[in-house]
Amino acid sequence: MGFLDVEDLKVYFPIKGGLFNRTLGNVKAVDGVSFSIEEGKTYGLVGESGSGKTTTGRAIIGLNDITAGKVSFEGKDLTSKKSKTSAVRKDIQMIFQDPYSSLNPRKRVLDIVAEPLRNYEKLSKQAEKQRVGELLEMVGLSPESILKYPHEFSGGQRQRIGVARTIALKPKLIIADEPVSALDVSVQAQVLNFMQDIQKELNLTYLFISHDLGVVKHMCDDIGIMYKGRYVEQGTKQDIFENPQHIYTKRLVAAIPDIDPKNREAQKQFREEVQREYEHSYNDYFDNDGLAYGLQSVSDTHLVALPEKG
Amino acid sequence: METNNVNGQDQVQDTTKSPSGASIFWREITRDKMALISLIFLVLITAFVYGISLFLNKEEIVRVDLFSIHQAPSEEFWLGTDYGGRDVFGQLIIGTRNSLSIGILVTLMTGIIGIVYGLVSGYFGGQVDNMMMRILDFFLILPFLMVVIAFVAIVPTYSVWTFSLIMTAFLWMGIARLIRSKVLQEKELDYAQASKTLGSSNFKIMFLQVLPNVTSLIVVTMTLNLAANIGLESGLSFLGFGFPESTPSLGTLLSYATNPQTLEYRWWIWVPAAVLILLLMLAVRNVGEALKRAADARQRRG
Repeated sequence: MGFLDVEDLKVYFPIKGGLFNRTLGNVKAVDGVSFSIEEGKTYGLVGESGSGKTTTGRAIIGLNDITAGKVSFEGKDLTSKKSKTSAVRKDIQMIFQDPYSSLNPRKRVLDIVAEPLRNYEKLSKQAEKQRVGELLEMVGLSPESILKYPHEFSGGQRQRIGVARTIALKPKLIIADEPVSALDVSVQAQVLNFMQDIQKELNLTYLFISHDLGVVKHMCDDIGIMYKGRYVEQGTKQDIFENPQHIYTKRLVAAIPDIDPKNREAQKQFREEVQREYEHSYNDYFDNDGLAYGLQSVSDTHLVALPEKG
Repeated sequence: METNNVNGQDQVQDTTKSPSGASIFWREITRDKMALISLIFLVLITAFVYGISLFLNKEEIVRVDLFSIHQAPSEEFWLGTDYGGRDVFGQLIIGTRNSLSIGILVTLMTGIIGIVYGLVSGYFGGQVDNMMMRILDFFLILPFLMVVIAFVAIVPTYSVWTFSLIMTAFLWMGIARLIRSKVLQEKELDYAQASKTLGSSNFKIMFLQVLPNVTSLIVVTMTLNLAANIGLESGLSFLGFGFPESTPSLGTLLSYATNPQTLEYRWWIWVPAAVLILLLMLAVRNVGEALKRAADARQRRG
């Protein structure tokens, strides 16, 4: 039994309409996703907008209802209704994408960071204040800022307040939903390096959701690529970046910008080549509905969505 | 090095005292002269009417005295008398008190009901919301005036409390709908979702996370409602469906002006009441605006 196991996870959103508000169909946001994360590792979930990566993360933490499938954390089932309030939730926390809306604008930093502590740990006022001060120091903010409001901080600082709140309960798994995509590049690096630092310090496991392959390459050990609610490829960082098998992954990897201007021509040619291959062999990789096939294993760690042979 | 540390300590101590809501409001109101004047006016008039009315004998004021009908303002009757020979000044004091009491009571009661109803309905959404909104619609389609007229006929003793209750029963829907629509937006925001992942209960999220973010809306609506409720009470009394003449309010005084003779020749009966209604509503509004800015950190002036 692994640390976090997701088996055939499905999250459908009903389309209501017609007479009596019937369910006319489903939007298959996540359609049969399986993966597992080892403790202490960072797992990257990559995909374009609307590919279901955020929904996957939200379903694991319980913000979206799971239609079918199983999520288990350290052997404990998270899918049952009862577990929504159980202490298991304490070990899974989330960093939100938008640092501007994820902090309550009416609360002081003290109240924001202390919120999880007040829910799970009964501390005295003084002890609570001290803990919050320590947490803020950990994320590189001065403890004096505990009485400020979120709007008095910059985006990067706000995201770090969010991180301080997330690590307050010493969780084991953190779901980071595009934690840096709302930040500018200089601050991105700062937040990412900081996340890696606390990962080592607290032995955290990350589920890192992102559309930025550069960031994913920097952060993650294992990567899953999603497209239209399904996995197209899964493997270690080396598998994905050095030996992409699926055409969708190849296009993604080809799209990573190269900062060396000398390679510009070669890069352009490479991209055009991938584009030609994509147009030529689209039908080999996607079924009639434009969805990815089931995963076939290529090596021990590497899974690719290919049609079954024969 | 040491001096630096000492300074750091001082700063910490300075910042540990956070500005309370009241001090923020006070700062806001001193920045706005109109609001300050309005607040002083409101406090004075409230203290005055509630204070003076303790010493006034209501029975004496509303007793008909045929020997002093329609007297102009004099030393005995500061604002003259009406057609029953009743002292207008005394009626004005007690009337203002009654009107203010009703305005405040109705605003508070509709506010509390509306906020809780709107919060629950908006936060849980779905079927709960659907059901609660249909109940609200039922109250909304009841003809307010007709029910009040029927109520006037049924209830023998008409007091500030009973009148407030009947008004509340038909005035809480507006604020409930307003709060609901705002809560529907707010609960989708990341901070409410984050609270869920941090283990806060629905109750906590509703009242501690979402509610503070709708306060500016609540404060503005409630102050405007207060002004409107004072007006509504006066309107109902003016039409004869509010208080009887034995319980004076600003509206009953105003209704004397339906008599063309009074309207044209005996200004002292209705002009003070009309001016007072206007001033009260304006003052309440001004204070409400200052409150609104105080409630929203981004709109503050100082």
